[in-house]
Amino acid sequence: MDLSTSQAPEFDYLFKLLLIGDSGVGKSSLLLSFTSDTFEDLSPTIGVDFKIKMVTLGGKRLKLAIWDTAGQERFRTLTSSYYRGAQGIIMVYDVTRRETFTNLSDVWAKEIDLYSTNQDCIKMLVGNKVDKESERVVTKKEGIDFAREYGCLFLECSAKTRVNVEQCFEELVLKILDTPSLLAEGSSGVKKNIFKQKPPEDPATSGCC
Amino acid sequence: MASSKGKMKLEDFDEDETMEELERFDDFTLASSWERFISEIEAICRLWLADGPKNLVGKGASPLGFPKNLYKVKSQLKYGTKSYCLEYYFKTESGKNVEWTDDSHTLQLSFGVKEFLVISPLSASGVVLDAPEASKLLSSLAIALSNCDSVWPAFVPVHDPSRQAYIGIQNLGTVFTRRFEADRIGSQVPIKLMHLEGLYELFVSKFSYSTVEYTTTVAKVQFTMKLTYRTPPHEDDDDSAQVREPMESEENSEGKTQGRTQWDDDCPWTEWYSAENPIKGFELITIWLSKKVESSLEMAELENASLYAADKCFLQPILSPYIGNTIGFASQLRLLVDALGVSYGAQFLEDFVSVENPTSDNLKSSAAVPPPTVLDRVLKDLFPEGAQDVDYVKGEHKNSRAIKGAPLESLFAQFCLHSLWFGSCNIRAIAVLWIEFVREVRWCWEESQLLPRMVSSGSIDLSTCLIHQKLQMLSICIEKKSNSIKDLHKENEEKFDSLRTKQTHGLETSNEDFKTSQQGRRGSSGFAGSMMLLNSCQRMHAPYTQDAPLMTEDMHEERLHALQAFGNAFSFSGQLEKDVLSSDMSAFKAANPDAVFEDFIRWHSPGDWEDDNVNVKGKAREGATDGSAQSDWPPHGKLSKRMSEGGNSWRQIWNSSPALPVSEQKLLLDPNQEGEKILHYLETLRPHQLLGQMVSTAFRASIDTISQTSYGGLKQMEKKIEQLYITISSALKPLQASNSSDKIELIDDLKRLCLVFEHIEKLLTFAASIHRSFLDAPRLSEAIFSQFFSFYLPRMGKGLIEKENVKDFNVKEQVRASERQVILDLFPTPTSNQSWRKVLSMGNLLNGHEPLLREIIFSAYDTMSGGHYESSSPWGSSEEIETHRMYICGTSNDLHVALSVTSCD
Repeated sequence: MDLSTSQAPEFDYLFKLLLIGDSGVGKSSLLLSFTSDTFEDLSPTIGVDFKIKMVTLGGKRLKLAIWDTAGQERFRTLTSSYYRGAQGIIMVYDVTRRETFTNLSDVWAKEIDLYSTNQDCIKMLVGNKVDKESERVVTKKEGIDFAREYGCLFLECSAKTRVNVEQCFEELVLKILDTPSLLAEGSSGVKKNIFKQKPPEDPATSGCC
Repeated sequence: MASSKGKMKLEDFDEDETMEELERFDDFTLASSWERFISEIEAICRLWLADGPKNLVGKGASPLGFPKNLYKVKSQLKYGTKSYCLEYYFKTESGKNVEWTDDSHTLQLSFGVKEFLVISPLSASGVVLDAPEASKLLSSLAIALSNCDSVWPAFVPVHDPSRQAYIGIQNLGTVFTRRFEADRIGSQVPIKLMHLEGLYELFVSKFSYSTVEYTTTVAKVQFTMKLTYRTPPHEDDDDSAQVREPMESEENSEGKTQGRTQWDDDCPWTEWYSAENPIKGFELITIWLSKKVESSLEMAELENASLYAADKCFLQPILSPYIGNTIGFASQLRLLVDALGVSYGAQFLEDFVSVENPTSDNLKSSAAVPPPTVLDRVLKDLFPEGAQDVDYVKGEHKNSRAIKGAPLESLFAQFCLHSLWFGSCNIRAIAVLWIEFVREVRWCWEESQLLPRMVSSGSIDLSTCLIHQKLQMLSICIEKKSNSIKDLHKENEEKFDSLRTKQTHGLETSNEDFKTSQQGRRGSSGFAGSMMLLNSCQRMHAPYTQDAPLMTEDMHEERLHALQAFGNAFSFSGQLEKDVLSSDMSAFKAANPDAVFEDFIRWHSPGDWEDDNVNVKGKAREGATDGSAQSDWPPHGKLSKRMSEGGNSWRQIWNSSPALPVSEQKLLLDPNQEGEKILHYLETLRPHQLLGQMVSTAFRASIDTISQTSYGGLKQMEKKIEQLYITISSALKPLQASNSSDKIELIDDLKRLCLVFEHIEKLLTFAASIHRSFLDAPRLSEAIFSQFFSFYLPRMGKGLIEKENVKDFNVKEQVRASERQVILDLFPTPTSNQSWRKVLSMGNLLNGHEPLLREIIFSAYDTMSGGHYESSSPWGSSEEIETHRMYICGTSNDLHVALSVTSCD
């Protein structure tokens, strides 16, 4: 990939990630835990929140724009616009509240199908609040099964103890780096010419997830 | 004998392959020129024999192309003053010589031989016209070949070239010799020879007097036959031309043809163009194998044999030579891409319309704008009177949304498809059409008429192109605008209505509730489930709320930029969302004058209300209403930790939101203002912005249209279309980048995309045609299609399929017994009108259709037993050998006959 023409020299790729899931599953906490290594009980998000984090992965300097959305039903129509152009979507549920898990398939997965404009975009399922092991009602196996059926990555984590928080974002980004079409979109000095770069009917570009 | 000298000479010059040297040394006073000629032939043949087929190919023997696997080597020689050319034809792999295989040379077929020699003079005609010369040449060959113990048959072309006559000879060991003779009658075939019966008698006559010594039994005649039929041309091909003429003059401008039924009438593209059927017709080949024939009568009966009696049956599609240069979506898309290239040169669309403008000078020749009548008709189709239902999903392929264009059947998609066929799809015509289009849209806006082909509710589909989003938004604005006018009238009525309903409700609920609802409650849409307010024993009302404001892509972009400008601000929330929340709170306060913040949270974000008794209500906004509701009052529970913390922004907004019903609030989306903005956008759209979106939408609408073609279960086709979607979507991506740097490269890429599109479009036309030819025999259409597919695919990359290439497609597909009825249907019984045109005379009719060609092989066998043959016969003692063979090929006015006779000299 050609980087020499990069207009913004401080990073190689810019990726847009999106956090979705029911109200109160800990999306904002997860984001805060990742971006500033802290955990606190946050005010519920109104509509949308947004954070930038620079990371270096696989020798690439990455700028991650992570959009945190409100889970309330009332905001859902507004939230839909943030799916646009996202290379990664993180679906969060609370392992201590079953309805947050079932809503993923009943509500959120459908929202993705409806609003995501990026066919190749990587989806990730994250079960939050594993620190409350005693209150757990959704088993890890159920999470794995859903992830397999829906074709996405899966991880359980805790925003509070920061268990798996880094890994969650890292795995997602690595997967994006593995997907040529997403990489091309995120490339800062992008110059696309499908007829010269690769055969146009390359199945690999469409075959993921 | 001269040949022995020849042999010696040859050994000396084995290495030397140049004939001149051989000749220079060949200075024997004893040898006559004829002997030298024979030894020369012998030398050449020995070389060829020694090399064998494989080495000869390695040394550069030239393949004939057709038939496949047949090669030839040649050598020139001189005899006296004349030059001759000796050619050796051979196959690389020695297989059984199966009759009626495709890859047979005429001579192989005529005489039933495999490899063979042909000697011909190097003259213009290439045949020997003089009989003594011919027999001398043949004898020379025969002597030379027997000298080198070769059993190659040898032929000499004789007579006039048009007769394709040959004589030939073949040594079969020391005892037998086969002689060959072929000739042709090019016209005026005797009636007797037009029929199987007469041809049979011709064959029998050949051995009844020439081989008296053989105890021939007529019963041993074997017969095989191959009939080739050609499907009759479609009726409308012949006589619709004059019928269509007058209509076309009107319809010409749009390339539509009306008139008689076309083969593709029910194909989705016919709304826009009519495609040439890529399959002109079919050739049917039926084969009868090894029949024993005993009498002429039997032969006569065979002339009436049905298709079902044939041993084998093959079908070969005949491609149209025009498959390479048809008009279709691809050709028009190419023109649109050209228009895009031109569009970069101008600031405003109006620049292209005004004739005086210098920029349009170079376009004038190709920039014809269709007459106003055509423009009117297009606009009428785009803006029909009376609303209709729109369902975009119907025309959607599962990959459609990947292409950023307007959905099929939507207003803008229809506009794009029309402009493809409007005039010659030049920039001027497009500009004219667009300006009129926008004028119509403006009229709809001013008159509060709903836009046709647009959905006026729901959300904005951001996967579509911006113009479509704008039109979607405008459509919603128009709906809201006209509603708000109605609302003004309605409001008064509603006041009475609500009063009345409240009264009836009031009877059910407590008196107290009734009283308060009378006092200050405004904008309620009814009870919010069974929930009760915390601080007053009243049912909670859900307020009417404003719809979340809709935004088109550019508005989102603007917002995101604004958001990003704040960058990493620690805790940041969108202003718009705050406005929505505040509006909801105001409405809630108005509908529930006694409500507190906690009540609002219970309604709006139930997850943040922690109920004490987990098992019942509280969670669900819509629980069952029953009498116990009141007794549960007041509800127990508390706000979640995050909601109850100090400085919570929700509570701040709550505190600052006045109690206002929706009707009194400032609108989140002002339809009048937004609509006007959209029209401004449409009216000031830059040419390249319009053309860019048109290209995307036209590609999407085109592929969405053609992908609806029914082509049965042709898997390869389905896959190709899917791939095309992906190719298109990725090739069009640079169009969305606002500052795509290299315009020329972009246009080149798009042209290439058009080419890819064209190939798929043609493949699809073929698929559609083959599918409808064999609706009842899907196996057949699948088999033929996959043959065509593998023929076409490698040629796709190399530009257009040329006319010559089409001829290369000569795949014959075997027809199964169960499929023969379908085949018969391809040959409809001719009408009386058609049958008088031809005098049918040769029999073997298929549903009244005469064969294109009838080929027959007769052969007679005899047992060579006892006597002096026994020791020397190459076939052993009691083997049957083919003594006579006759190949007949012809129609009622053209007949080839080739005879080979084996005899012992």
